[in-house]
Amino acid sequence: MNNPYLPSPMRIEGIVTETEDRNIKTFSLSFLDRGNEAVFKYIPGQFAELSVLGKGEAPFGIASSPTQKGIIEFTVNKIGLLTTALHNMEPGETVGIRGPLGNGYPLTTLQDKNVVIIGGGFGFSTLRALTTFLLDKSNRNSFNNITVIYGARSPGLLLYKDELREWEKRADLQLYVTVDKGDKDWEGRVGFIPAITKEIAPRADNAYVLVCGPPAMIRFTLPVIEELGFPPERTLLSLEMRMKCGLGKCGRCNIGSKYVCRDGPVFTLAELNRLPREY
Amino acid sequence: MKTKIIRKQDMTGLLNNLIQEYEVFAPVKRDDLVIFDRIGSDKDVSLEYTNSIKPPKEILFPQSETLFTCGSIGDAASIEVPVSEERPRLLFGIRPCDARSFLLLDKVFNEENHRDVYYLSRRNDMMVIAIGCIKPRATCFCTSVGGGPFSSQGSDLLLVDIGDDYIIQVITDKGSRLVEKVGVADAGENKLALMKMVIQEAELSMSPQIKTDGLKEKLDSAFDDPIWGSLTEKCLSCGICTYLCPSCYCFDIIDEVTDSKGERIRIWDSCQFPLFTLQASGSNPRPTNKERHRQRVMHKFSYCVDNYGQVSCVGCGRCVIECPVNLDIRQVLTTISNR
Amino acid sequence: MSELSGQIREAVRKLLRQKEVDLVIGFEAGTLPLHSTPCFIREQQEAERLIWNSFCDNNLAKYLGKRQEKIAIIAKSCDARAIVELIKEKQISREQVVIVGVPCHGMIDRRRAEAELEGKEILEAEENDGELTLKGNGFTKVLKRSDYLCYGCEVCFHRNPVIYDILIGDGVAEKATDQYSDIAEFEAKSTEERWRYISDQVSKCIRCYACRNACPLCYCRECFVDNTHPQWTGKTTDISDTMIFHLMRAFHLAGRCVGCGACERACPMKVDIRKLNRKLVSDVKVLFDYEAGISLDRTAPLATFKPDDPEGFMLNP
Ligand SMILES: Cc1cc2nc3c(=O)[nH]c(=O)nc-3n(C[C@H](O)[C@H](O)[C@H](O)COP(=O)(O)OP(=O)(O)OC[C@H]3O[C@@H](n4cnc5c(N)ncnc54)[C@H](O)[C@@H]3O)c2cc1C
Ligand code: SF4
Ligand code: SF4
Ligand code: SF4
Ligand code: FES
Repeated sequence: MNNPYLPSPMRIEGIVTETEDRNIKTFSLSFLDRGNEAVFKYIPGQFAELSVLGKGEAPFGIASSPTQKGIIEFTVNKIGLLTTALHNMEPGETVGIRGPLGNGYPLTTLQDKNVVIIGGGFGFSTLRALTTFLLDKSNRNSFNNITVIYGARSPGLLLYKDELREWEKRADLQLYVTVDKGDKDWEGRVGFIPAITKEIAPRADNAYVLVCGPPAMIRFTLPVIEELGFPPERTLLSLEMRMKCGLGKCGRCNIGSKYVCRDGPVFTLAELNRLPREY
Repeated sequence: MKTKIIRKQDMTGLLNNLIQEYEVFAPVKRDDLVIFDRIGSDKDVSLEYTNSIKPPKEILFPQSETLFTCGSIGDAASIEVPVSEERPRLLFGIRPCDARSFLLLDKVFNEENHRDVYYLSRRNDMMVIAIGCIKPRATCFCTSVGGGPFSSQGSDLLLVDIGDDYIIQVITDKGSRLVEKVGVADAGENKLALMKMVIQEAELSMSPQIKTDGLKEKLDSAFDDPIWGSLTEKCLSCGICTYLCPSCYCFDIIDEVTDSKGERIRIWDSCQFPLFTLQASGSNPRPTNKERHRQRVMHKFSYCVDNYGQVSCVGCGRCVIECPVNLDIRQVLTTISNR
Repeated sequence: MSELSGQIREAVRKLLRQKEVDLVIGFEAGTLPLHSTPCFIREQQEAERLIWNSFCDNNLAKYLGKRQEKIAIIAKSCDARAIVELIKEKQISREQVVIVGVPCHGMIDRRRAEAELEGKEILEAEENDGELTLKGNGFTKVLKRSDYLCYGCEVCFHRNPVIYDILIGDGVAEKATDQYSDIAEFEAKSTEERWRYISDQVSKCIRCYACRNACPLCYCRECFVDNTHPQWTGKTTDISDTMIFHLMRAFHLAGRCVGCGACERACPMKVDIRKLNRKLVSDVKVLFDYEAGISLDRTAPLATFKPDDPEGFMLNP
């Protein structure tokens, strides 16, 4: 019988320090046992449990897209025991992975639709995975217009800066990057995500909107989305809860009778509206 | 259903027989607490008890257990899973409510996509011999939640105490094979009549204690009712009601390190602890007693009905008796029902 | 007892009517025999719920912290002593509480009473004139109340609240001073015997933290057992982990524990938690001539330093 608690070993291939405060790093990992790569089949929006053995295990959204072969990426904010241990590691060292877990973004539903992506903070990591997936040559034609609105508190806290520059140049993607507060070198947009979203006013017809970010951002962005005419059925949210098992057993991540780890983390607003407000 | 009979004094022989083949767990007295423990001979067993303080769930789902060890810290390639070479387990003399709780735990730990190998390694060959309750306590409410003092759900064999003998109700094929093997007599008509009386008397002594009709709907619609705040204001957020509950199963996974070895350990956890849901960002979806205790009640009487088709309370009354501030789940349910 | 209930209700109604307080914390009838249960009252008409009897054993001071309202609390003497410590430790201000003191004859230890009945279930309990009448299916048993007190109450020498704004009823006679004879007995044992006793007790612990959570003075926002970095102790029920929990907790309570016994009563596993705590209560008394919760003015010995503090316990333990 397959043991769902056992991590598979992965090698750290590369580490990129994303932010100026050095608190967010992206780790590229590859399976020690190449055979595991085929087993670890994932879609954007899913997450995995990363282990530093002896320190613990915690859930992280998968920041890479399955179209990127050979590596799996995670963007990790240093906040506690495990994340600090991860941040102290070097390329060549081994971590454990368990997953993929959760439902991920509904790719088939998004086909032939306009896709509006709104992300804030490190919550952008799985949306970055989704964007990369949608933009991939083999996929791009299956989806209509793609709009990405991404914000951070300050320019120094923006993730994936090289990629953002690449995306900026593309004609098949509307990218809007904003910061809450600029600095002397910042020439881009300044403003909170809800306000920027309102200003850009992406069209709701034939469109799905996907939102991931800190609770406050979500709270203020949802009314704007509603105003723009996105119905709850076409508003998708990726939630974060405290998690441990990722299997719907340990009991901590539920909202009503749904387990965010197993039934989510991606829910439509319509689904969430039917659940108790406890998140 | 097959019924067998065994004289009380012959139980000794039977038990010692079983000990040869199984790891037998039975109620034993330690100081003045009755607990379920591994027994070496029939002499340890104490069947004179209403129920144990701690439920027998720890025999399947121990309070702490090692999921795996790893040789050197950070070496994900050196993982070793402990293998148990133990003989199959047999639970002797547990109460019907606790036997029923295993069916619930099964639904959680034997879920199709994520089978819990640790739980199942103990569960798969386990034999359950329960003993019916001739004297239910005033705090028992098994009959209100689908069980009963002689419910056979979850048992392979069910004993009924009829004075000088036990009637053995044979519930499952596994149980049947066991009685065939040890060879016990069939129960006669008059003994069976006696059994019926005993059962009826016990059942009649129990009155319904909570209204379960429409309870789930009531709970669902009362989620935002401020009454939850006043009902739970006295709660201490301790672990008693969950740790002692036979059907509570929440856990945490942690790592511990000795000089050269790392261990990943699963330990019981409780939805009543504030840290249970505290997120790394500092926000907590269940910050106070109100949300936490509501979660406990909703989980048992609403969410489990959605997910597993049954309530996850077997009415054993442990949480009622042991709560240090007398927060009585029956009262909570009744209050909500009457809203 | 019912007289006292009446007087408590009267006092509470007045406090609420005159808007002197927003909240009253007291006891109401429990759902089980031998149980009263904490209750929270905000309206005058709810005062009817309040009762007073020998089953009011929780320490209500537990509920005072982190509240904004003005609170009246029905306090027996050990609750009052805990309030004194909480005021000194700045968990609540003196002005925020109205202490309704109730002199106390000691609370009933229901487990002691139950033990008398050899497994028979108590369905009803009544008390009058120093007697406790227990009834169940086919039996009635009359016990002498004073033989079934909680251990903490047996050794309590401050039965009249040390601090109050309103006093209910007449004072009760105090016993002579505490000789800590139970602790002397324990101290007389060999180190091995003492270690074995404490280990046996602690090995029953299931780490439900009811003892900590019932304790009025365990109010740390994050308890050391919950810290993850640094992690002071493991989380399993291995005796090495549980022992650290109990020893550290006892030390944290040295000079603060008011001996109410709330921890021990809360414990479902009947761990003798009192032994450790009371040993420290006794040590603090002997070494520093200090008793917790008696005076608002005296600083707790472990919260201050004097050059001539006794240090024998550090040098030759
Ligand atoms: C589905 C999902 C996806 C996620 N994706 C990502 C992602 O892509 N990137 C990412 O960075 N995170 C992500 N997270 C969050 C991530 O899981 C948490 O940040 C992580 O679990 C923190 O683990 P830790 O061991 O470092 O923190 P812990 O040590 O468990 O600490 C948790 C919190 O408690 C506090 N704390 C712990 N100990 C103490 C103490 N002694 N004193 C005071 N405070 C203390 C910490 O400061 C922290 O806030 C995701 C979470 C979920 C559920
Ligand atoms: S209800 Fe009682 S047992 Fe449960 S957490 Fe609250 S105080 Fe503890
Ligand atoms: S909720 Fe209480 S009564 Fe129900 S099974 Fe759990 S401990 Fe027993
Ligand atoms: S109340 Fe008892 S079992 Fe619970 S943590 Fe305290 S000593 Fe351990
Ligand atoms: S993380 Fe364990 S149930 Fe969701």
